[in-house]
Amino acid sequence: MIKGARLYAAQSAAAIRTSFADRGNFAIQVGGMIVNDIFFLTLWVLFFAGFRSIGGWQLQDMALLFGLTMSVVGISGVFFGGYRDLAATLLRGELDALLTQPKGLIPRLLARESIATAWGDLAGAVFVLAVFAKLEWTDLPTLLLAIAAGTTVYVSASISFACLAFWAAGARSFARELTDFMLLFSSYPGSIYQGAVKTIAFTLLPAGFVVLAPMGMVRHPSGQTLAVVVFGAVVYAAIAVVLFHLGVARYRRGASPSL
Amino acid sequence: MSAVITVKSLAKAYRYAKRRGGFFEAFSPEHVTVEAVAGVDFEIGKGERVAIIGPNGAGKSTTLKMLSGILEPSSGEASVLGLTPWKQRKALAYRIGVVFGQRSQLWGELPARESFALLRHIYDQEAAPFAKRLGELTERFALTDLLDQPVHRMSLGQRMRCEITASLLHGPNLLFLDEPTIGLDVTAKAAIRDFIREHARDHGQTVLLTSHDTRDIELVCDRVIVVNQGRIVVDQPTDQLRRRFLGRKIITFQSAGQGVSLDLPGVTRRASEAHATILEVDTRLTRVERVIAAAMADGGIEDVTIEDPPMEEVIAEIYASTHAA
Repeated sequence: MIKGARLYAAQSAAAIRTSFADRGNFAIQVGGMIVNDIFFLTLWVLFFAGFRSIGGWQLQDMALLFGLTMSVVGISGVFFGGYRDLAATLLRGELDALLTQPKGLIPRLLARESIATAWGDLAGAVFVLAVFAKLEWTDLPTLLLAIAAGTTVYVSASISFACLAFWAAGARSFARELTDFMLLFSSYPGSIYQGAVKTIAFTLLPAGFVVLAPMGMVRHPSGQTLAVVVFGAVVYAAIAVVLFHLGVARYRRGASPSL
Repeated sequence: MSAVITVKSLAKAYRYAKRRGGFFEAFSPEHVTVEAVAGVDFEIGKGERVAIIGPNGAGKSTTLKMLSGILEPSSGEASVLGLTPWKQRKALAYRIGVVFGQRSQLWGELPARESFALLRHIYDQEAAPFAKRLGELTERFALTDLLDQPVHRMSLGQRMRCEITASLLHGPNLLFLDEPTIGLDVTAKAAIRDFIREHARDHGQTVLLTSHDTRDIELVCDRVIVVNQGRIVVDQPTDQLRRRFLGRKIITFQSAGQGVSLDLPGVTRRASEAHATILEVDTRLTRVERVIAAAMADGGIEDVTIEDPPMEEVIAEIYASTHAA
């Protein structure tokens, strides 16, 4: 376990150094993401200046949602960046080299890349949460737990989508689109989702467990909200691990499209 | 000699959907099964350097993937260093080194030194012996000046030297190489062949390689397994194969005037074009330099190319001769 964590830290540090290697490119990507986030936030600030509330949501709620989403995407991109192009990695047959080495495949695949723009999301998240979300210092433990759980669900769901590559060659873009949809669903007030759309947001595209349920836990901490958040993280992590191992078994039988 | 690899009736079949013409037929594809490896048997002893050669689709890489634990066979048995590769993949991984000529195990953006340091964690190596082995390998492979260079900025030959070094850092007993010299220039190929041969000889290491290049086989391996359509066609020492099939060169002379005409033992003229004469030379009967000297003495030569016969041609000849026998 300790050896595994040490390997993950070493590989992740190497990936982060790689993303820093071209400093000009790194600065442009991070700066671009910060500008993008500021633009998005400004739209909501202007919106709430006019309407005050949308389905009971106010600016501080939107800021918490936005800050949590940026934190999840930022941490996922910096420390688990391999999730982003996982389907393409699988389809390129890059699993072969990893299968000849003795360590676990999922950590090796996640830590192989760090996404430069994710630093922009992290910087934006700290700013939004500190300035607009109306949080107290006492909210910090639940906030950190919410970010950890949301990151787990987001990365796990992305792995599950990428696993489609073990069954279909066309999964490369489809998996990415599903991840983007999940992010899109995570960026709007939960009160707008009703009926079938809400079911999808809490199941197939688990946007509800990425941001909405963790956000509820931060605003209304209780045993019940904590249980829902932890349950979501555990279930989606388990689904990702099972699907990935079923996919690898299929790959090793020679039945995957990349072979 | 104790067996490092034992293979019995090993087979691998792939099943894929074959598209049929027409719109509605696309929804009910016909499934086709292809036998990539059709029940092969062989043993490889400790310290042997063995080549598996064959045309594209012969089953070389599939065999290597099954023996290194990547793929599960459809049927048959294999024991590699006393382990069943597809069942004990992780345990086996500590004891084998694997190099894929067209896939990298290094981090392209990182300096080679950092990739090697990560491999120390991956193979749970102690720092001191690892550093010693890395020092020996980088010195022997003339990589010392390249260690701080990102791998993606290296030439293909330099990258391949790094790949082979990476595969040896944990001190494996057995080295698998899949097309290790593919795409390399003559000098880079020679450096890699020398290194593999000498390292294996000095460390008593067993080597199993696949290649399209007859020189890889001649200069590195002492035994050759020829496969075609998933079956073993020939399994014999390289010396024996060299005497029968490998001692030939193809020399092309470009000339402004009429073609080259030589009357030397073991030299035959192949179908040639205007201003280009293609000769096949049996080097056991006449050395290459003698052929070139004779052609130059004839005058009018503008350019010369020396090549090995294509692998497909060699295989076809071996295949024809074994079937005739």
